[in-house]
Amino acid sequence: MNWFVWRQHRKQFLSLGLVLIAFAAFIIPSGVHFWHTYQQALSTCAQNPNTPNCSDLEGNLLTSGGDALIMRGAVLGALALPLVVALFIGSPLLASEYAEGTSKLVWTQSISRRKWLSVKLAWALSFALLYGVAVALLVSWWSRTINALHQFRLGQGHFETQGFMPAAYALFFTAFAIAISAWFRKTLVALAVTFGVFVLCVIGFGQWVRPHYATPITVTTAMGPNAIEAKLPTGAWVLKKDIIDAHGNVHSNFSVTDMPKECQALTQDIQVPAGSRAAKVKASGGDPVDDCLNSAGWHQVATYQPSYRYWDFQRIEAGIYLGLAIAAVGATYWLVLRNDA
Amino acid sequence: MTKPAIQTKQLGKKYGSFWALENCTISIPEGSVSALVGPNGAGKSTLLKLLAGLSKSTTGESTILGSTPEQREDFLADIGYLAQEIPLYKSMTANDHIAMGKHLNKRWDEIYIRKRLGDLGIDLTKAVGKLSGGQRAQVALALALAKKPKLLLLDEPVAALDPLARHDFLSSLTQAVAEGNLTVIMSSHLLADLERVSDHVIVLAAGKTQLCDDIETVLSRHKLLVGSRQLQQTFGTTLHVIHEVHTAKQSTLLVRLDKDIKVPKGWQQHEPNIEEIILAYMGQAKEGGTK
Repeated sequence: MNWFVWRQHRKQFLSLGLVLIAFAAFIIPSGVHFWHTYQQALSTCAQNPNTPNCSDLEGNLLTSGGDALIMRGAVLGALALPLVVALFIGSPLLASEYAEGTSKLVWTQSISRRKWLSVKLAWALSFALLYGVAVALLVSWWSRTINALHQFRLGQGHFETQGFMPAAYALFFTAFAIAISAWFRKTLVALAVTFGVFVLCVIGFGQWVRPHYATPITVTTAMGPNAIEAKLPTGAWVLKKDIIDAHGNVHSNFSVTDMPKECQALTQDIQVPAGSRAAKVKASGGDPVDDCLNSAGWHQVATYQPSYRYWDFQRIEAGIYLGLAIAAVGATYWLVLRNDA
Repeated sequence: MTKPAIQTKQLGKKYGSFWALENCTISIPEGSVSALVGPNGAGKSTLLKLLAGLSKSTTGESTILGSTPEQREDFLADIGYLAQEIPLYKSMTANDHIAMGKHLNKRWDEIYIRKRLGDLGIDLTKAVGKLSGGQRAQVALALALAKKPKLLLLDEPVAALDPLARHDFLSSLTQAVAEGNLTVIMSSHLLADLERVSDHVIVLAAGKTQLCDDIETVLSRHKLLVGSRQLQQTFGTTLHVIHEVHTAKQSTLLVRLDKDIKVPKGWQQHEPNIEEIILAYMGQAKEGGTK
């Protein structure tokens, strides 16, 4: 049976292998180049801190058009490759057998349907997992420069492309595509549904699920420019920033008309009466409007996930996908063994 | 020819709310070649799939070669099955298919299949998708036969073939039957072809078994009676009329003579051929269905 699965699917396995090699050939040189550039900048800045750009490496290093393009390409590839495996290995695995009627040929050889399915699933899922691991290792290695520069591995677009996630995606979506193809028995339907669910999951988990893996940390500060940013640790994944008035009302889309009347008046660039509180604030370099809001009981609140939770979150989300993959495999067995040819 | 190779009792299969097969009771002796006939949608494919263990029956039971049909290796080893669309892996060569058979079957006659396909002049290194329909059917039949099955189930294998390919296919089948102790059920619309190769007939119509017997017996038990219209009223229920045709003056009846029932006087008796009998049963089911 192993020989047969290999014979049947070797073209898919080999061409996907070529795609992976092409991807590696694309990101390995840029990975080396980025790291080299970063290390060089670090040593230059250590010797001579006054070199231009040293104050803000994050904002200035690797921001040229070519580098940005490579970064986008690598992130896109890291997201797309696990999906491609799912689409091209998972979708046709059973659907093509049903559509061509070859299920009836192979199920009347002297091999039980369960064994046939088990060997096929073992090949497809092992291949998908290995493929995902290869992508994960490549992109995690490649991302070290960006991670060092930005320290923002929790952010969307970073979290999904490194750590366990590429492997988790490859495994789950392949299992999912197989289950869908066992249900609908059509490759195209499995392709379309898998693609749709992938997009939904990748965006949906980042938006609505991942923020809740651990209770976010909340910080409260007075009103003022950069007041809240100063309180957020490096690499924090900020979930929400709100301005809250004295009555506890949240002003997410804050505008001048939300303010108390007396503060609104101060936003007009008019002369403040000499000797007033506003004048004193202005004299000491402060913002009379912020001061007015603070004394009216307004404040800012931010919630965030700290970057040290990165690996915990990776483990939790990969675990969820592993559980879903197991469910998909169970559904596949149920569908294939229970239903008629 | 004593022990039945296949015995089904009230076998039925329901898809959704539709009965594809109902009350199918048949008994097929070992070593026979049965023609399975019936109009489209009569449940022929459904029955063959049930017998091959490819689908599960909704009602009834079946015993095949002493066991129930299911997805079990030793059961499947005894079954050769050829589906209607003659499925093969189109991008694979005949050689690949032979290797598949070798890998997936404990009992496998490599010499036989290579000789067979060699004799037929089929290119073993060409993707089977590029072979002719007749050659594909031969590859599929050879694959089923190389398993050395005890029961061969063929679902309209010649439907898509041209007359020459059909002739070759049936010759191959007859030869295989002559060589080994093989029980065959083959469905087809082509009554003449079936008559050539089979010694047994099963008529399925409207999802039910209309007839299941060996052809000799069927022929001896059916008569074609021709007589005046008045005569028709005389025998009432004593005869089992399968099919009747009336003109203004004359009635033609196809009747089944069970046990010692004698034909009443005044009727002209004729021997119907098997084709006429089969058509009569299919027609009866159709009338029954429309009533």
